Amino acid sequence: MAGALVPRLAVSHLTKRFGQLLANDDISLSVLPGEIHCLLGENGAGKSTLSSCLFGLYRPDAGSVRVDGRPIELRSPADAIAAGIGMVHQHFVLVPAFTALENILVGTGRGWRLDLAAARRAVRALCARYDLALELDRPVAELSLGEQQWVEIVKALYLGARLLILDEPTALLTPVESAKLFRVIMRMAREDGLAILLITHKMAEVMRSDRVTVLRKGRLIGTAATAEVSRDQLVRMMVGRDLASPRSEPRTGPATPLLRLAEVSLRDADGRRHLDAVSFELAAGEILGVAGVAGNGQTELFETIAGLRRPSSGSIYLAGTRIDGEDPAGIAALGLGHVPNDRARDGLVPDFSIAENLLLGQQWQPPWRRGWLLNRPAIRQRAATCIAEFAVAASGPEALVRRLSGGNAQKVVLARELAKASRVLLCNQPTRGLDVGVIEHVQSELLRRRAAGCAILLASEELDDLFSLADRIMVMVGGRVVALVDRPATDLATVGRLMAGQAAA
Amino acid sequence: MSWPGHFGWTLVRRPAGGLASLAAAFTLAALATGLIGGLLFLAAGAAPAQAFAALAKGAFGSWRAVSETLVKATPLIFTGLATALAFRARLWNIGAEGQVFAGAIVAYGCSLQLAGLSPWLQVPALLTAAMLGGALYGALAGLLKVLGRVDEVISTVMLNYIIVFGLSLLLLHGPWSEAGGFFEQSAKIDPGAALPKLVTGLRVHLGFVLALLMAVLVGFLIERTPLGFEIRAAGSNLRALAFQGARIGRLILVVMALSGALAGLAGASELLGVQQRLKAGTLVGYGYTGIIIAILGQLRPLGIVLAALLFGALVNGATLMQIQTGVPSALIYALQAIVLLAFLIARAATGWRLRRLAHAG
Repeated sequence: MAGALVPRLAVSHLTKRFGQLLANDDISLSVLPGEIHCLLGENGAGKSTLSSCLFGLYRPDAGSVRVDGRPIELRSPADAIAAGIGMVHQHFVLVPAFTALENILVGTGRGWRLDLAAARRAVRALCARYDLALELDRPVAELSLGEQQWVEIVKALYLGARLLILDEPTALLTPVESAKLFRVIMRMAREDGLAILLITHKMAEVMRSDRVTVLRKGRLIGTAATAEVSRDQLVRMMVGRDLASPRSEPRTGPATPLLRLAEVSLRDADGRRHLDAVSFELAAGEILGVAGVAGNGQTELFETIAGLRRPSSGSIYLAGTRIDGEDPAGIAALGLGHVPNDRARDGLVPDFSIAENLLLGQQWQPPWRRGWLLNRPAIRQRAATCIAEFAVAASGPEALVRRLSGGNAQKVVLARELAKASRVLLCNQPTRGLDVGVIEHVQSELLRRRAAGCAILLASEELDDLFSLADRIMVMVGGRVVALVDRPATDLATVGRLMAGQAAA
Repeated sequence: MSWPGHFGWTLVRRPAGGLASLAAAFTLAALATGLIGGLLFLAAGAAPAQAFAALAKGAFGSWRAVSETLVKATPLIFTGLATALAFRARLWNIGAEGQVFAGAIVAYGCSLQLAGLSPWLQVPALLTAAMLGGALYGALAGLLKVLGRVDEVISTVMLNYIIVFGLSLLLLHGPWSEAGGFFEQSAKIDPGAALPKLVTGLRVHLGFVLALLMAVLVGFLIERTPLGFEIRAAGSNLRALAFQGARIGRLILVVMALSGALAGLAGASELLGVQQRLKAGTLVGYGYTGIIIAILGQLRPLGIVLAALLFGALVNGATLMQIQTGVPSALIYALQAIVLLAFLIARAATGWRLRRLAHAG
């Protein structure tokens, strides 16, 4: 990466407007051959707009793009591909019924004849080069998300990409898959001179790059060599202020168990086992972190405790009262709040106002109901208080939740569920997809509740978060609890191995 | 949200729910209906301007004409409200048609028992009976959905067929066919069961006032009560409502019953207010037209009342139009369908606007 190198990609003074909104304001950056260059910024900072401009999906209003020193005009993705730019979108664009090989070949046709044999040889060679065991003849629908991503990457390389844009590539991957992704793209860069533009908001990934460019609110804040900046400096560049990193202090005093699960199992109608004899106790003022690769029973565990699923055997006690078999409203009334995994699908009514979403579930209870009617002044008053307390960015209690950003929508869910959680709070992925600023807010809120004596069950994909918040960590694999340890007694690597189904070293 | 532009223009989504876009949609729909309707009248051999004038005169030209328009609108307000209540909860109740019949049948059956009693007793009792009949028939579809996971569209349509033909059977050969009569109809009801007229000499009756009252009540129910809150929540995201512990099965039953009760009132209002007897054929179509009314009225009570008045005026004015210009009055049903389609298209079109792209040099 000597200074004399001609940049693979040089963007200068790129500007893109959407109506009033300046999505990209005079952005300049360069990516060198063999470099892994991170594009860092919060949601709405303009990362996706910039990458869409670079792949020919949007046309910039001003500015120019050079590839290997040659100015190019990007009118469509076809122009971008011809210029050697490949892109892997956050949500894959594959044909599920086609095989991996067919997906790689889609849109590559030159002439009428499809020379499958030659194409297969070329794709095989690419996979062999990077030790990828891709099953080329299986339909993409049968591949895991990690494998699908490799199909996308191989496709970009097969099309001759010399610059690869990866948009949040690890968002859907397990830790093991993420680690492999990084190993391979490192080799692609180091050994074969591929230039990689990596869009992410995960700090751990940023720190493995060569250089990082930070955007905030559509503007270029700066580019730095990763080795020369600290994590905190980058966060400050990204957010525009310092962030306290919430961390739980060790507990003191005796703790009363508030939630107890004894041998809880859950099978569905087809006999599939989602939970297998899960037992644990959760005490007042404790955060129990649930670690596991998505789909290993975490969501089923949360929904079973909340009364949304009925366990096939075992028992659940909340503050001494047996609650399995109770309905969700009855369990909530005992002082349980539940922040569901997918807030848009399970937690919010999009056409309702903030005030109405905060009311959801309590519409029959006084003081929100007076006789036959809803007590609208009281409902609005409470909503105004919540909006202020949680710093929800909205025009007021009547603002529709559909129009809120993900972070503000999550604050609404959190406000509602915290109000119910006088004893136990279930938090399933409460910070997924949120900006660091909001994550900080959510995390300090959880710690405040913990200090107030709430028992919190917290699942997160971000092991870093679990390690900074949880008192104990429980690892789930295949619906079973494979480990339940005090946080100081374990480390990230051990938990990662356990999640992958390997015995602790 | 925007589509990538071509030729320097792009389509941009308008913020939904704007009153301006709604007004624009109505204006566009009215213009389109006038144009297409005019062509239809022309094809039927009449001068469009004359036909529309006769239509308007027939609908509003005299107190009698206004009264008849209100009479025609009354059952449509009930069925429009019935449909809207269910649709707001995303329950696709296509069964207002059958629930109208259920209301009329139960009311008629009860009227045979109560004949001779005071009108002060008979009228409220029969209206209640009609609501119960409609409610039970609606709840039956709800029960099938809750217990057997039967899609309500299928079950309500099937139940419609069953009760329409069931009534024919009762009236043709059954105990209710008028003694010595040749028509498919029952004997007249007891005079004490008839809904009082609002104005002497005109046919508009108590049912119209009741329909307006129900529009107000339904508006209150949906916007101001905990039950309405659940109905609206179910219509937007049922899963989130279930996650908060609401009893979804019970909600479905209650909504289907309330929807059926409103439709049942349409049956009672026609039986006791207009026909004074059960007659197969005279109740047909109110339920299905109610779906159009509900959609035109944007599932809101005020909109439903206005849409029902429009349709009542069209049907009522058509007779004079036929007499004066020779345009077959049946064309009016084509015009109703055109109103709906024009409105839906205009509504979709006014949701977007064209914007010129700012261009890179």
